[in-house]
Amino acid sequence: MEGPREKTTAEKSTETSKRVRMMIKDLAQRAHEARAAGDPIAYLFISSCYDDILRAMDITTVGTENYAGLCAAKMSAEQYLAKAESEGYQRHLCTYATCGLGFDATRRELGGMPPNAPDGGMEQPTVMLGTGMMICDPRYKWYQATRRYTDAPVHVLGLLNPPAYYTHVDIKDVRNYYIRYIVQELYELVDFLERHTGRRLNMDRLAEVVDLSEKTIKVWHDIYELRKAVPAPMPTEDALNAMVPGYFMMGTQLAYDFYRELYDEIKHRVDNKIGTIPDEKYRLLWALSLPPWYALVIFNYFESQGAVFPIEVVYHPPPPVDIPANVTNPIERMAWRFYDSMTRGHEKARKRSGDTNVEWFLDMIDEYKLDGVVFHQAMTCRTIHTGQLHQINIFKKYSDKPVLLLEGDIIDVRNYNQAATHDKVDAFIETLEAYKAKNS
Amino acid sequence: MKFDASMVADIYQDRGKRVRELSAAGRGGVGYFCSLTPVEIITAAGLVPFRLAGSMSEPIREAHSYLETIACPFTRSALDVGLSGAYSFLDGYVVPHACDNIVKLYELWLHNIPHKYCHFVNVPHTTSRPSMEFFIEELRTFKASLELYTGQEIGAEKLRQAIDAHNKQRRLVQKIYGYRKQDPPPVSGSDMTRLLMSVMSLPVEEGNALLEAFESEIAALPRSADGKVPRIMLCGTGNEDTTFISMLEGSGARVVIDDLCFGTKPFWFEVGNGEDPLASLARSYLNDVHCPRTFRYDQRSHQDDLEVRFGHIASLAREFEVNGIIYYSVLYCDTHAFDVPDIREYLESQKLPVMFVEEEYPVSSLERLRTRVEAFLEMVG
Ligand code: SF4
Ligand code: SF4
Repeated sequence: MEGPREKTTAEKSTETSKRVRMMIKDLAQRAHEARAAGDPIAYLFISSCYDDILRAMDITTVGTENYAGLCAAKMSAEQYLAKAESEGYQRHLCTYATCGLGFDATRRELGGMPPNAPDGGMEQPTVMLGTGMMICDPRYKWYQATRRYTDAPVHVLGLLNPPAYYTHVDIKDVRNYYIRYIVQELYELVDFLERHTGRRLNMDRLAEVVDLSEKTIKVWHDIYELRKAVPAPMPTEDALNAMVPGYFMMGTQLAYDFYRELYDEIKHRVDNKIGTIPDEKYRLLWALSLPPWYALVIFNYFESQGAVFPIEVVYHPPPPVDIPANVTNPIERMAWRFYDSMTRGHEKARKRSGDTNVEWFLDMIDEYKLDGVVFHQAMTCRTIHTGQLHQINIFKKYSDKPVLLLEGDIIDVRNYNQAATHDKVDAFIETLEAYKAKNS
Repeated sequence: MKFDASMVADIYQDRGKRVRELSAAGRGGVGYFCSLTPVEIITAAGLVPFRLAGSMSEPIREAHSYLETIACPFTRSALDVGLSGAYSFLDGYVVPHACDNIVKLYELWLHNIPHKYCHFVNVPHTTSRPSMEFFIEELRTFKASLELYTGQEIGAEKLRQAIDAHNKQRRLVQKIYGYRKQDPPPVSGSDMTRLLMSVMSLPVEEGNALLEAFESEIAALPRSADGKVPRIMLCGTGNEDTTFISMLEGSGARVVIDDLCFGTKPFWFEVGNGEDPLASLARSYLNDVHCPRTFRYDQRSHQDDLEVRFGHIASLAREFEVNGIIYYSVLYCDTHAFDVPDIREYLESQKLPVMFVEEEYPVSSLERLRTRVEAFLEMVG
């Protein structure tokens, strides 16, 4: 097995997902061309509900989290993390953010692209689009801080959702004003973009993009249904590539075509019982955890032990759109789509465990016929990686499937110990073996 | 009421005592986190708002198995205190959407700490017009949840009375802070922390009586003049315990003003008492509580942006004639840590010396810190 210093990315099973690297390069190239042509460029976050508007206004986007992931995979992140630290940003902050801040600080200092920046670097943005959500403070603090290196105006889009449970409120009573808020905030965003980019939003064009996005989500979702098959036709390491069009190119024909093609390939694999590994002994869930982008080979290590990840909780497609037919305004449809995806599991959670994530794990275990659950605690992303112990505590009340908790980071390889990780995986495989023997 | 120093000391020692008594007599308490919870609504519901905190002096016992070490240590400590049953005298809890760590606490308390009432107030991250409209609706929901819990309607009049009472409390707190402009100040930073933590453990009317008595006491103190000791402003994350402030004061600093969650933040504004009390509350809590979790922003230039975000610190520092600022943040507090380079730049541009401290909670290395603090005090003194 190669160590992460030599090889970081995992071997993929599907041909379609191998194309994603090229698509990422093309995205970067488009940003370089936009910059050269003086066209507007926006920094953005994934899962932030604004993509369709940016597509319809023809604004080029740069996914800053994605870029940090690329730097990690290319082993180029360290210099930017060190730069951010020398600027006063602590090492324990989200390393997507510190990698981005370090990159932007370097670009500012050099007065141009840092040499050898992966894919030619992130272009100077015209605007930076943060979000005020319930899940991640760096989504607005990062860009607020970045302004010192870009001078680009920041907009924070308010995107709130209610928690799954209150003791004295029926969640149905809050829905309307939550959705109204998102709608109004999206209009504010349009106003901001029109003022700062010189582009105007055409509602007919937006309606087309929204339709295309909804169609794309449907195909993407259908692929995930196919992934229930045994043997696993598409493992998590492929999904971590295949999510890129959905999270960074949503609302484009390119993304739609990509998922159609991927669907056909997966369908073919299911029909012909082509799995990820020849002898699939254990099927595992990659739980709510961001991956170690500098060490995705870890998935291949699991596979070398007969364990495959048919499905994961992160970077999942949103559920297919299920909103009232009378909601036809495209901005309202976007708001409904967001609200619905953030609250879809609430009712079910209230009836059983009280935790939407745990409900999701339990459902996946049934539907994808899984034998165990693996978490990865990425030290610098508090947002997603605090609460894992809580999820495990609740999960254990409803399932006796073995659980593994790995430790590492998203970007900072210094938080990762490959040998210790392999030891943990080996021990976990033994636990899975014992569990299977006991329950067979 | 005649003030006696042991009053504050007693309440601070056993903050739950009064709510336990009241609860036994039929008036329950509702715990809350953070300066963003509109306590007026709890008061108007006939309940006592009780400020929740961790414990700086106690090591974490149970929270390790519930909340990861990468979570902000304040929330881990608060959870630990909750798990110990120390807050079991409360009817329930309110958690506002302050930061990611506090949001996590909501779920953890909901699942692991017994309660009769539990509510989450979603506070928008921006001060946009839609955010304000949303927040009014969200406060309406908060009020409705308390009405359902108590079985009593909270009419506009009750809300107005509660706003008046809490505004009075804010004015009293500001007045007491005002005495700290004197040199030496008659009230130390540690005294102020104990006083405010006590006030935030009592029904508003009793807190106000305590503040009035305290104020008469210090108004009567003879003034002495001694301007040689550095006057310090303390900023950053909340710190309800006096260990750190006592160390500063023991090292020769006079902590005369702060921008802290357990200090000025909940008291440095007044809620308007207009037509719609909920709208007034929404406006004040969103606009006037200065916390890095609320995104304030100025498009004009980076310098203007810094002024909008941190101008209140400089203006308090000038008003209280401080020689330097100590910015204390607990580890893993993202909302504060992302601000550090900007704050440093801003305060330096204002010629205000600043020292940054990022620490565990409880502070793990007081002695090492003391050496740093002494060097800073020497520099600014
Ligand atoms: S804190 Fe986590 S969720 Fe937020 S930007 Fe960083 S990695 Fe993403
Ligand atoms: S110290 Fe920071 S992270 Fe912790 S609760 Fe307060 S604001 Fe949130």
